[in-house]
Amino acid sequence: MAEPHPDVASPPALAVSPAPHLRGLVSSARLNWSVACCLLPAAAWGVFLFGLPALRVLGMAAGVSLLAELITSLAWGRITVRDGSAMVTGLLVGMLMPPGVPLYVPAAASAFGIMVVKQSFGGLGRNWMNPALGGVVFALFSWSDSMSRWLPVRGAGSAVAPLAALRDAFAGGKAGSGGLLAVLGAHGYPWSATDGRVVTWVNDHVLSLLGASLPRGVFDMLVGTVPGGIGEISVPLLLIGAAYLIVRRVIRWQVPVTYLVTFCVAAQLFGGLPMGRGWLAGGVLFQLFSGSLVLGAFFMATDPVTSPLTLRGNLILAASLGVLTFFLRYFGTLGDGVPLAILLGNAVAPLIDRFTQPRVRSAGKGVIG
Amino acid sequence: MNGPSTRSGGLFRNNPVAVMLVGLCPAAAVTGRVIDALWMSAGLILVLLLTRLSLEILKAFSFPGSGTGHMTDWLSLLFLASCFTASFELVLGAFAPDESAGLGIYAPLIAVNCIVLDRLAGRGSQEPAGPGEIGRSLGQASGLGAGFALSLIVISLIRETLGSGTITLFPIGSFGGTIAVGGISLAPARALVYAGGGLLCLGYLAGAARLVRRVKGAERA
Repeated sequence: MAEPHPDVASPPALAVSPAPHLRGLVSSARLNWSVACCLLPAAAWGVFLFGLPALRVLGMAAGVSLLAELITSLAWGRITVRDGSAMVTGLLVGMLMPPGVPLYVPAAASAFGIMVVKQSFGGLGRNWMNPALGGVVFALFSWSDSMSRWLPVRGAGSAVAPLAALRDAFAGGKAGSGGLLAVLGAHGYPWSATDGRVVTWVNDHVLSLLGASLPRGVFDMLVGTVPGGIGEISVPLLLIGAAYLIVRRVIRWQVPVTYLVTFCVAAQLFGGLPMGRGWLAGGVLFQLFSGSLVLGAFFMATDPVTSPLTLRGNLILAASLGVLTFFLRYFGTLGDGVPLAILLGNAVAPLIDRFTQPRVRSAGKGVIG
Repeated sequence: MNGPSTRSGGLFRNNPVAVMLVGLCPAAAVTGRVIDALWMSAGLILVLLLTRLSLEILKAFSFPGSGTGHMTDWLSLLFLASCFTASFELVLGAFAPDESAGLGIYAPLIAVNCIVLDRLAGRGSQEPAGPGEIGRSLGQASGLGAGFALSLIVISLIRETLGSGTITLFPIGSFGGTIAVGGISLAPARALVYAGGGLLCLGYLAGAARLVRRVKGAERA
């Protein structure tokens, strides 16, 4: 990002900086701090549901992230903690963690993200991989058991995230019929009492007139009162934060929308096949609201440093992310597929840039184009 | 002994893995356990020295074209390196099957790395063979071999300590061969034992080597 060097008093006539070349009044610091603020509601929701353990994980992730940035930038001789990118990284790491995770996992993930993924490659703007996701995937590979230590919502009910519970249900071979929520219900997944009241009321008073009914769990999934990663479960609060960023043009709405739509199409078409439910039975709404899909699509696939420069390139990347996420989630074994998919996307972003670069017409040899 | 020095600088200044970036394949692949790195290094040094010695002996007998960079030179190098590698593999498989399994496909690949390192050691050794020449050639080869071993051992120590929480060595007497590193062994960062972890350590080792060179260069200037 075009950040003025502290030694330079006035803006230089020619600023040479690594991608992305953002221009305007928004400095990278303001941009990063506003992203951090937009993440806060969803993170706070996690703390509200899971209490002190969640707060500890978030604090550890953010604290270690800032500390690692401070140490490495001291070694560089140029303090960069105030640009806020370490805060965003730390917050994202914490939000992707399950609340019951031992505290060394978020600490190691944050340190790895900042020190190895970002600072080793030259700091903000030069990292080819999203630091938070790099750290989380490092943790997923290293401590995969700890990374599924969820906690029950407000101390009651199941401590297994719906997506993992669904995987277990299908692993048992007793798939059952109906939607994915019905399958979970048949396996005795304990939805909250509020969910029961709301769904019953809607079924009795609204949908019965139309001859339809909702399965249990719809309310829990929509509002995010289910076990899961601290900051990934509340889709409405994530969307509120994302909406602000879209209105302020910090992120492009086309990217998450393309990502989610591609994922939905792939999941709905083929998602039923690995579960033995046939075509067009992927249970896409359930998938859309589970795991870190929404958090990843709005806050990580849109990272300006690690995504292509042009809108066209971004759309190509977003579509591939949707397909990749589908494959990794339905056929993979590690996490919910989103972190790995976005990391793979980061790796091919420069390649996409190469093929989507706007051409300069009628430029001879030797001219940049 | 006059002429170029015996020392190849292979241990630090021209470390094959960290500075010249050759032999990266075993450096990333068999460094998940310290014992594997030790066996790999032992095999490579052995094969390298035997190959070098045989080549010098061939040169002393003045086989037509040998020692002049001629095709026969390459052929004899290929032949000798493969022979000694195959022998090492068979002996290791017979007497230490577990260690042999630890090296896997990378034991036969010793031949490839041996050829690369031999070419580095044999640079400029086209003078007529003599006792001094043989000593110089073997000295350079062992320097490069030691450098290779040093890099592998450093990488494997880091990877195994952090990635498995253990340090696997030879069992001696009542000592079972494995040291558990307290604390880390309870929840090791397994990612480092995967291939990606090997490349990561390799990158940092190469970076450290460059940093040392830069600091040294600045001191000299």
